[in-house]
Amino acid sequence: MRLVFSITIIILFSFNIIAREIGETEITTEDGIEVFQDEKYYLLKKNVKILSDNFTLNAKDVKINFDKSLYDITELNAKGQVNFVSPKFGLNSKSETLKFVVISEKLRVDGKNSELITKDIEMYSDGFIEVNNLNGDFKLEGLNSKLINESIFIKAEKIEGIFSNIENQKEITFLNVIDKKISYVKNNNTEMYAKKINFDNTTSIIELIDNVVIIRNGEKIIGDYGTLDTKNNSYKIKSNNDTKVKVVIQNNE
Amino acid sequence: MNFFLHINKKIIFFFGLIIVFSFLIIIFSKQININNIDLNISQKILSNVDIAEPKFAISNDSRKIHITAKEGNFLNKDEILLNKNVKFKSNDFSIETEKVIFDRNKQTAESKTKSLFTSKNTTISSDGFNIYDNGNKIMFYGNSLIVLK
Repeated sequence: MRLVFSITIIILFSFNIIAREIGETEITTEDGIEVFQDEKYYLLKKNVKILSDNFTLNAKDVKINFDKSLYDITELNAKGQVNFVSPKFGLNSKSETLKFVVISEKLRVDGKNSELITKDIEMYSDGFIEVNNLNGDFKLEGLNSKLINESIFIKAEKIEGIFSNIENQKEITFLNVIDKKISYVKNNNTEMYAKKINFDNTTSIIELIDNVVIIRNGEKIIGDYGTLDTKNNSYKIKSNNDTKVKVVIQNNE
Repeated sequence: MNFFLHINKKIIFFFGLIIVFSFLIIIFSKQININNIDLNISQKILSNVDIAEPKFAISNDSRKIHITAKEGNFLNKDEILLNKNVKFKSNDFSIETEKVIFDRNKQTAESKTKSLFTSKNTTISSDGFNIYDNGNKIMFYGNSLIVLK
């Protein structure tokens, strides 16, 4: 019985040697690695899997730029069916390409059906999605770009803004939405259409520019310029044509 | 009487032993596979050693890679087959493998045997490698594993 116990210990120890240790990053490839020492980058080829404490990444090919030595990663570029999961940052993404710049903590995913999902916000685009984890800047550009969180739904060709961490939740504090056809924003019970939509959290005002439509409680108001105060949920709409009456509706809810 | 008291202890012991040995066989067979890798080019049987403990270097403006081995055999005017305990060492890294073909003229070295690259906080194990462009570029072949610390 003692022999069985000893052998079991040896086996467990052998498996422990093979397994990745805490703090280590393990990268596997099916078709090798090419290291360019003077240019300071290496290419990981075919079915690349990167496993670290903070994230896992799967892609067809990956290029890694380094500074002093191979471990000193400055930038990572992944290509082909990229799948990135980071439980530490509550981040999940799928895309055709992914670029991560370590020093600026800037993450960009490109390609059709790109998605980047955090615990508070979902972002989708057929163009690209870019998020800067340090300063909270984000940008989505391309067809079918969408940003969704608990209280807001945005669809436009170009969405950019700033996230801030408020009470451990990512909230949008600044927003610029542009679409040469029409942008769409749904906030609580109000639907808004305009070519350009801006939001500034310091003033709590959503500004709507060109081809403005606001729909609320079955009411539809059309104009050329509008503002919606998110604090008291009231809005104003103006028209470029001075003969038209400006509409101001106060919500009594 | 409890059902479990009917089970023969010897059967449990031998059953456990079989499972344990199965695991050991799997682990050791993988290890044996790793050690039994053939270099295609080296299939020519070399009866005598041309150079004992050969030493070479690949160098460019920015780095020098020293190459050592236990045995060396000339394949032609430029190519030398380095055998047994072949080591590449520079200021930045080292590579260990069993068989390498070193080209003195082109300043290249190619191996198709299991190789282990080591540099600061980094190890790369691969199915061989090719050092070219005067040591600036290294290509690791096949299924490769990088561990970064």
